[in-house]
Amino acid sequence: MDIIVCVKHVPETAEAELKIDASGKTIEKTGLVFDINEWDDYALEEAVRIKEKFSGTVTAITVGPEDSDSTLRKCLARGADKAIRLTDLKFTNSDAYATAKILYSIIKNLHFDLILTGAQAGDDGSAVVGPVLAGLLGVPHATMVKKIEFGEGKAVVNRELEGGLEERLEVKLPAVFTVQTGINEPRYVSIMGIRKAMQKEIRVMGLADIGLNESEVGEAGSWLKIEKLYVPPVEKQAEFLQGSPDEIATKIIEILKSRGLV
Amino acid sequence: MDFKLTDEQIEIKRAAREFAEKEFTPELALEYDQKEEFPMELYRKAANLGFTSMRIPQEYDGQGYGVLEECLVVEEFCRVDPGLGVAVSLGNLMVPDVLLKHGTKEQKEKYIPPLARGEKIAAAAFTEPEHGSDITRLDTTAVKNGNGWIINGSKQFITNAPIADTFIILCQTDPNATPPHRGQSLFLAEKGMPGLEAAKLRGKMGIKPCVTGSLALSDLHVPETNLVGELNKGFYYALELFDGTRITVAAQAVGMAQGAFEKALAYAKTRKQFGQPIINFQGVSFKLAEMAIKIETARLLTYKAAWIYDHEKPSPVATSMAKAYASRIAMEVTDEAIQIFGGYGYLADYHVERFHRCAKITEIYEGTSEIQKLTIVNFLQR
Amino acid sequence: MAEIFVLAEHRQGQLRDITFEMLTKARELAEKTNADLTAVLLGKNVREHAKNLVEYAKRVLLVEDDKLEHFNSDAYQKVLSHIFKERKPILTVIGHTSYGVELAPRLAAALNVPLATDCIDLAFEGDALTVTRQMYGGKVNVKAVLRKAEGYMVTVRQAAFQVQKPPTPSNGEIEEIPSPLTEEITTKRFLQYVLPPPGGVDITAAEVLVGIGRGIKDQSNIPIVEELAKSIGGVLACSRPIVDKGWLPSDRQVGISGKTVKPKLYIALGISGAFQHVLGMKNSDLIIAVNKDPKAPIFSFSDYGIVEDLFKIVPPLRNKINELKAQKT
Repeated sequence: MDIIVCVKHVPETAEAELKIDASGKTIEKTGLVFDINEWDDYALEEAVRIKEKFSGTVTAITVGPEDSDSTLRKCLARGADKAIRLTDLKFTNSDAYATAKILYSIIKNLHFDLILTGAQAGDDGSAVVGPVLAGLLGVPHATMVKKIEFGEGKAVVNRELEGGLEERLEVKLPAVFTVQTGINEPRYVSIMGIRKAMQKEIRVMGLADIGLNESEVGEAGSWLKIEKLYVPPVEKQAEFLQGSPDEIATKIIEILKSRGLV
Repeated sequence: MDFKLTDEQIEIKRAAREFAEKEFTPELALEYDQKEEFPMELYRKAANLGFTSMRIPQEYDGQGYGVLEECLVVEEFCRVDPGLGVAVSLGNLMVPDVLLKHGTKEQKEKYIPPLARGEKIAAAAFTEPEHGSDITRLDTTAVKNGNGWIINGSKQFITNAPIADTFIILCQTDPNATPPHRGQSLFLAEKGMPGLEAAKLRGKMGIKPCVTGSLALSDLHVPETNLVGELNKGFYYALELFDGTRITVAAQAVGMAQGAFEKALAYAKTRKQFGQPIINFQGVSFKLAEMAIKIETARLLTYKAAWIYDHEKPSPVATSMAKAYASRIAMEVTDEAIQIFGGYGYLADYHVERFHRCAKITEIYEGTSEIQKLTIVNFLQR
Repeated sequence: MAEIFVLAEHRQGQLRDITFEMLTKARELAEKTNADLTAVLLGKNVREHAKNLVEYAKRVLLVEDDKLEHFNSDAYQKVLSHIFKERKPILTVIGHTSYGVELAPRLAAALNVPLATDCIDLAFEGDALTVTRQMYGGKVNVKAVLRKAEGYMVTVRQAAFQVQKPPTPSNGEIEEIPSPLTEEITTKRFLQYVLPPPGGVDITAAEVLVGIGRGIKDQSNIPIVEELAKSIGGVLACSRPIVDKGWLPSDRQVGISGKTVKPKLYIALGISGAFQHVLGMKNSDLIIAVNKDPKAPIFSFSDYGIVEDLFKIVPPLRNKINELKAQKT
């Protein structure tokens, strides 16, 4: 089975303090650690597991600046066979829609049985690339997938619904699935994997190589244009308890007592 | 001249960091610091990913990298936790190195792969109760007996002794040699052999998950095939080993300093006194700047020593400089880190005092700082 | 007359809350732009829903077809494309739900209609549509404008808008449209719903919940918080990452993809407060949050906040509760 995994190189922000930069349109990136998007991490792992089970190839593709190589190298070290980076200054400010078009322009020339990507990205949280890409390719898709099984020319997937419910769908292959976190347990990068990864090449392509117009990418080719970023207004703020851990514990006890909870 | 790590080295460092950050949680570190046990499960996990066999060639199931790559892993491990970091990076200490250089084909094939894969643990028994860093004199003897040797004596402060499967033991084989170290030889021994008893040493100041012990050797019989390399060359083989392992001790020290520094920096940014974060006070901020300078200097010395080892012939003086300096500043930086934390730094729960306790060993083992200085002085006087 | 579409979302015989949230917001936009508010309802035997929706919308476009019994984005796309070509709505509002995420992006691309997803606010400025959405897990808000077009599409976040009934029921009309589906959709077929495995604990029934998130760091730390939960007579709950890692079963998950809870006390430990989690617990009577990051969104939903490592707070808190209990007995 030949699998393509679309990945994104994003800053890790779960535990970082974010600042909006002077332009007001993006965050300050210095000091942030970039890594593979968390959802894509699960997608990559799923792809490698499928490959290990059924044989075939895994190709990791990203749209992003040169720095994205570290995410691609991670994919290669974790079991991807090939990597492609789509980089061009003209791609700057591409939203999820434009990104899907860029990915389409290269993927349409590749053989694949399955395309996996994250259900969303940790930065913009659009959840758009996968299904749009599927539409452009004219293949079926399923989003927020939590389980994949294979049959003859088809896959059976579990999609996450709300409230703990899932739905089971049968989808014809080839298809695009966007993967929800928790579908598997991503492996660590091993030293053996790094050695292998260093022998694999990262193909780099730009606008001229993929046959798209300037107007189809970047801001011009996007649905969305960012006007400004701002820190969400605080509607309500907790009363902060101060002091040593011991003092704080005592304060909590007092609160619980006053509410009759202890 | 090029100060950049290669892409491959950057990936190795990142992989080690990711593994350690996920696996060496502060709570686990505290638990093992308290119970003084070797984290076997963690070690096996790290070994499966190749982190513990960086310098062992691929043909023996290792990774085939150099000392610099090993240092990158050790540094990241110790940065996250000094105790678990040291323990996990020393599981197959020295035995593969000495066998690679001087072992027979049979010895290499038998002993190295299981050590590389993390299935077995190694210990190198040089130090004796009466002789610490000075291994020129030994009370442990090996006497020829038919088709083998009979070993008697005792060893002290042996890393991994209580859990090791494979030992190398340095013995006096020629009691009349002058100087005596010209009559020493290295022998392989295995756990379970009659006459080999290990005891665990408790109550170390730091690196508690890295278990240490003593060996009692009474009429331990090893076959002739267990002699490593040539007879009466053991002392020189041991010294050679230190050229490499001392650099990794420097890397431990750099990692410990870096880890404590990062904790102190984060704390200084959030801890408020007199209405502002304490990093706004020059007394704190200059301290942090000094710490950063020291760490960077130690790191450069360490990487340089490793680079020389990997690319030229080992330089004992570069190694000793790296180890003496890195271990010294590890003590200073971890001390200052506690100071920045104030009273909280003195508590185990805040995870900086452990770095200080662990850092001390880097000034002691694999040759004390005084021994390193002797090496440097010998060079200067030439 | 210009139209604003709201796609009614329903499942297993129930109209979902998001439908009314969308209708509330869309009504406001329709009034401002002088457009008609139209609910679009697709399904099998859903006329009862249509009767409900006419209270909120000027009209309900109803498409009934056996092939629409279960949600299927391919089927929905065919039907909606058909309707769109006829009516060209200036705005289509879809829920940023599991269904909406499956449907909207591909539909928008096929119709060449600009789309903004997961919006928490919307406004027309002239004929331009401006949206508010979030980035970086809710740490940053973004104001963005959609590319100028005849019509726009958005998906909106659940619970972003509070449902308000129109002051007077709209008494809209139900306009039935014959289904354009001529054959079964074979690319993608619904098989069945999969219920979460029945667990031993019903967190929705607990009066005290101790919720844990990423800050717990490792599975081996769970006993520490479990002890606290026990001593305070509560039950452990968690945010998504804990279930993803397999550290707690999925029936302990609080949030959109888990349970909605309303205990007397919710102690959030190491939970940053992503909206997906907050939606499931924000109506608890008393919320106390412990997090190292002073800017963690959870503090905006809590009554009391403690900026500290949870492992520093949990042990003394547990000890004090135990002391208190010992005194009483």
